[in-house]
Amino acid sequence: MKRKNGYPVLVAASLCLASLCIIVISVASGPRLLNPFSMDIETCRMLLAIRLPRTAVALLMGGALGASGAILQGIFRNPLADPYILGISSGASLAASFGLLFGISLLTLSVPILAFIGAIATGAAVVVLGHDRKGLQPERLLLAGVGVGFFLSAVLMLVMTVSVDDGLKRAILWMSGDLSMVDWGLVPVGLLFILTGFAIALIRRKGLNALTLGDDIAHSLGFNPTKERFILFIAASLMTAAAVSMGGVVGFVGLVVPHVVRRHVGSDASVVLPLSVVAGGTLLCFADAIGRTVAAPLELPAGIIAALIGSPYFIYLLGQKKA
Amino acid sequence: MNILEFADVSFSYSQKRFVAQMSFSVAEGELVGLMGPNGAGKSTILKLAAGLLSPQKGNVLVGKQNIGSYSGKERAKLVAYLPQILDLQAPFRVGELVRMGEYPQEGSQALCVEEALHLVGLYGKKDTHLAELSGGERRRAYIAMTLVQGARVLLLDEPMASLDIRYQFDLYKLLKDIVREKGVSVLMSSHDIGMGAMLDRLILVKGGMVIAQGDPGTVLTDKTVQESYDLNESVGAYMETNRTICRAFAFAGV
Repeated sequence: MKRKNGYPVLVAASLCLASLCIIVISVASGPRLLNPFSMDIETCRMLLAIRLPRTAVALLMGGALGASGAILQGIFRNPLADPYILGISSGASLAASFGLLFGISLLTLSVPILAFIGAIATGAAVVVLGHDRKGLQPERLLLAGVGVGFFLSAVLMLVMTVSVDDGLKRAILWMSGDLSMVDWGLVPVGLLFILTGFAIALIRRKGLNALTLGDDIAHSLGFNPTKERFILFIAASLMTAAAVSMGGVVGFVGLVVPHVVRRHVGSDASVVLPLSVVAGGTLLCFADAIGRTVAAPLELPAGIIAALIGSPYFIYLLGQKKA
Repeated sequence: MNILEFADVSFSYSQKRFVAQMSFSVAEGELVGLMGPNGAGKSTILKLAAGLLSPQKGNVLVGKQNIGSYSGKERAKLVAYLPQILDLQAPFRVGELVRMGEYPQEGSQALCVEEALHLVGLYGKKDTHLAELSGGERRRAYIAMTLVQGARVLLLDEPMASLDIRYQFDLYKLLKDIVREKGVSVLMSSHDIGMGAMLDRLILVKGGMVIAQGDPGTVLTDKTVQESYDLNESVGAYMETNRTICRAFAFAGV
């Protein structure tokens, strides 16, 4: 499909504008509608303590997952790769569920920190298992991730089955991407890890493009495929771990957002990475705003809403591609 | 002057030796073919030349220096390797792919993207998806990337495989142009012994060893082909038919 030269710029500008509008809508919407341009002290307090941190976390999480998906689909050369297929979310879920179900708070370790540790430990285990004498092979790494993920999910289900604790519902909500409990406390550290992962990925964007063409051609272009894959995998793991620890498990965003972005602006990582951040953040922010508004005072998890909104659009795009 | 040299190179994947004490060279601005039966070691030779594999014995020299001694970027400026099967699913547009050739150059590329696209005849397809190109066009797009990369040696693993006679014609013409106009050296593997006449020089291999090398007309005799491919029948008639095609190519300016 041919596109005019200015088309990606137009898409980026439209996306940024849509993102700004959705941020305003997200801040204003909820069980009680706020007018951001006319507020009293109580409204201001609610805005600063609840709506803004929630919007910030949704933007950061969605952005991190979108960029992680773009990285993983490139380094595995697999359109189905996403931050969760590698078992990272299963590791985070298991660790966080232990915290939620058994009230573990060792040395003040809270659920987000447990989730982060679980995610990073799983990522490290997957890298070790995905390594052979030829280096970090994409197929082996992917299979290691899937295997570790299934094992950890099975342990998680076992733990949840035998648990009768009140934390069970909280654990299920956490695994559906429920942002109702977030506050500013998680934002600085989450932001730091996400920015670090994103900066690494941007610096290595050329390596990511080259890996997409296969290891032999990446080598021919002067890259060391194992080294590039390892560094980019670390970047994606950092961003995923930070996202999961901030607001729980949100599937779909990391899988679909990079596809939608590529569909509109091509596959150059220099463009796809930043736009996946903007699109992922915007989608999750929008989903969270809808989730806390449509059935108020009941809150629906943002992860579920994001999948419900995004899936039909994704299927529509697939239909267009076939045509 | 030789740009690529195999000096007594041996390589084995496990117990089986794939390349045994092999010596040959490729000069600057030369189109050299690598022919032999399946399992003769053609792809292994190309991967050794690209630095993808390291020999257990002997040296692979590019520009008089061991290929393993170069940094990734330095190596990429000298040698480019294209595998036989190019990814059909690569999600890039032609322009995006060719621009990747600039990666090792840092602003001092040998050829700009537009020039390279013009040279391979894909100037009008810069914004077309690779998946929408024919097999021949896709291979030309990858060759354009290596031209931007500025590699002095182009290593092509069976570039003519699965191409019809028209695309083979186009690709030979392109490679000859690159060799003549840019002084690039090409080492390519092929199964098409009849097309040997299109090459400047030919290396015939079997069981990881060089059977014969030199002018294609001298190397490709009924006897060497029978010996190399373990044939009992004469291939003279087959080769004569292909020589006629080559003459037709030559008549058309290839």
